[in-house]
Amino acid sequence: MNETMTMAAASAAPTQRAAGARRAQLPILALVCAVTALLPLVMQDVYLQNVLILTLMYAALSQSWNILAGYCGQISLGHALYFGVGAYAASFLFAGYGITPWLGLLVGAVLSAGLALVLGYVCFGLKGHYFAIATMVIAEIGLLLVHNSELFGAALGIHWPLGADSWSSMQFARTKLPYIYLALALFVLTWLATYAIEGSRWGFWWRAIKDDPEAAESLGVEVFRSKMAAAAVSAFFTAAGGAFYAAYVAYVDPESVMSFRFSLLFALPAVLGGIGTLWGPAVGALILIPITELTRSYVGGSGSGLDLIIYGGLIMIVALVKPEGLLSLVRPGGAKA
Amino acid sequence: MITRRQALIGGAATSVALQAPALLAQPREVVIGVIFPMSGPSAQIGRDARFALETALEIVNGQYDFDLPTARHAGLPGLGNAKVRLVFADHQGDPQKGRAEAERLITQERVCAIVGAYHSSVAATASVSCERYATPLVIGDSTSPNLTRRNLKFFFRTTAHDEMFSVAMFDFLDAQRAAGKQIKSIALFHEDTIFGTDSSNVQRQLAKARGYNVTADVKYRANTPSLTSEVQQLKNADPDVLLPSSYTTDAILLVRTMAELGYKPKNILAQAAGFADQAVFDAVGDKLGGMISRASFAIDMAAQRPTIGRVNDMFKARANRDLNDNTARQFMALIVLVDAINRAKSTEGAAIRDALAATDIPGAQTIMPWAGCKFDKDGQNATANPVLIQYVNKQWVTIFPAGSAVRGPIWPMNG
Repeated sequence: MNETMTMAAASAAPTQRAAGARRAQLPILALVCAVTALLPLVMQDVYLQNVLILTLMYAALSQSWNILAGYCGQISLGHALYFGVGAYAASFLFAGYGITPWLGLLVGAVLSAGLALVLGYVCFGLKGHYFAIATMVIAEIGLLLVHNSELFGAALGIHWPLGADSWSSMQFARTKLPYIYLALALFVLTWLATYAIEGSRWGFWWRAIKDDPEAAESLGVEVFRSKMAAAAVSAFFTAAGGAFYAAYVAYVDPESVMSFRFSLLFALPAVLGGIGTLWGPAVGALILIPITELTRSYVGGSGSGLDLIIYGGLIMIVALVKPEGLLSLVRPGGAKA
Repeated sequence: MITRRQALIGGAATSVALQAPALLAQPREVVIGVIFPMSGPSAQIGRDARFALETALEIVNGQYDFDLPTARHAGLPGLGNAKVRLVFADHQGDPQKGRAEAERLITQERVCAIVGAYHSSVAATASVSCERYATPLVIGDSTSPNLTRRNLKFFFRTTAHDEMFSVAMFDFLDAQRAAGKQIKSIALFHEDTIFGTDSSNVQRQLAKARGYNVTADVKYRANTPSLTSEVQQLKNADPDVLLPSSYTTDAILLVRTMAELGYKPKNILAQAAGFADQAVFDAVGDKLGGMISRASFAIDMAAQRPTIGRVNDMFKARANRDLNDNTARQFMALIVLVDAINRAKSTEGAAIRDALAATDIPGAQTIMPWAGCKFDKDGQNATANPVLIQYVNKQWVTIFPAGSAVRGPIWPMNG
């Protein structure tokens, strides 16, 4: 991993060297995949496997958030809305009509992307903090709508029917292996999408918008369309993650899939690991999720809140010492971006 | 010559051989999992639940002359006087975490059964994990009626659910009407989470079926910062009975707002929750004289059943407060589960499940006003009949049904 991942470095370095180093990321992904896929063979405890699944899932979701916020610079605090749309689409179609969650996932993802375009049309006139506040408010409105919608079970939520293990219903009673591979696939797909975007004309446009929208526009970058595209891609993958989560937990209710907490949980790993980088969200998730899960399970039962103190303390330390994210520690040039 | 390694092996073998008979003679340990919100907005519930369950544990593992199953033996006689150990887990009110913690308790901590869970949404997901691992889940205090309508084999609920509670409330109204009191109109006031939604749905149906006119049906966002317009609606309707379904902070805000707007309800008949929480009465108790709440627990029954008072003393020594609706039910859930494990004479999930299904504890052997504890085919304790209690001179008095009532109600509540 060298300094070629950020735009500043990429434009400074000779193009050939940049392309070569960028391609070097692919073997790293292959290695991560191989290790993750083989991990369950040695780690057979279902609880630890659950932590692995959540880590992969949040890495994917944070990567989705990173596409809009990290690369295009549009900080969203309302991604719980897209997550909820995905979770509810899959649950509603499966529990209500027996339609396979695979289709539900696709429907939710497409719906979310469409919703992101509609909301983007309205919100992308807003800048900086105002945009972030708008996303938060819109997500809260979405939560209220679902909360009051009899069709979606209102506050009672939707239970997934208990059935036999099958790939078509994404339901597995005891084994966690299929969920590990599904979460891994989700992570790899979002990572590859980010990788493809990073190297494309869109990627350069988005990062230019992040640095200075006016300057970018004066150079011929299509600012509005770029933001719309980033929002749609980001929402698409976030909803896919929501559908996966619904299948995994087999129950959705408004508070547990659409609350503001989720919007923060998608942003935190990327911020911790390194916003606007390929590996930042994964590194952040790899640190944050196991810490939250393990501290809650092993010291949280006491009711002392020690787990939350550890979690909060860690975030404060990173914010104070390395606001660029942990990846800048291993990549000395990275902090320049 | 004996090498050091041989000496070690020999020593180890000898100590194992010496311990083996002791291990056989020693009673096995029974490990039970507990899932409650130990942190987050409902952390206080989890903390109190811990006190309640540790009180129950002390009674089960010790020898007490209480009229409760397994109290008079130290440990479980059915399992060679085995002692019970609890493993606490925190679900933070999150269904995903509840599910994961149930799995962890079953697979890592090897618990033979689980008690929980307060939040109905968590009970919903944890119960699925328990079903998949054939491990019984005994719910003491999650009251969404749907939980026992999912054909689960390993799910048992000792408390009444919200429908049973609302039926008791309307039975009381019917009784008042039969006694010649005027009750024509009622108003529903409820928050928008599972609890308020379920509660108001049932109350709406019952009002219609039994001929009460619902003159206001006010739904509000839980934890709202203001209830002014909502209370204005209630004031305009001025019903004969106000039926609130609210948690603690909203209940306090409701009472304060009613006082500010000069609205004094003719009668309040509450679906417990906030109106069973001491915090509400510490804050606005002076404005709630005469209000009635449904309840699962009636501490004034201690006069008839000494065990209640003695359990309460033990709980109070830990928690520095009296048993209430929640803690009494949590206490009883563990007692019911331990009784079943004792009868099962086994820590196998299936055996405990069958013993739970065969549970038949008379009301007198509980600390509750229940007729008893006996599960129907859905795992619901159908004999967990609730009571109504009235707040008079800063004390709760049981006023309904006749069998449990200490005295009749003050109606209307302002005398």
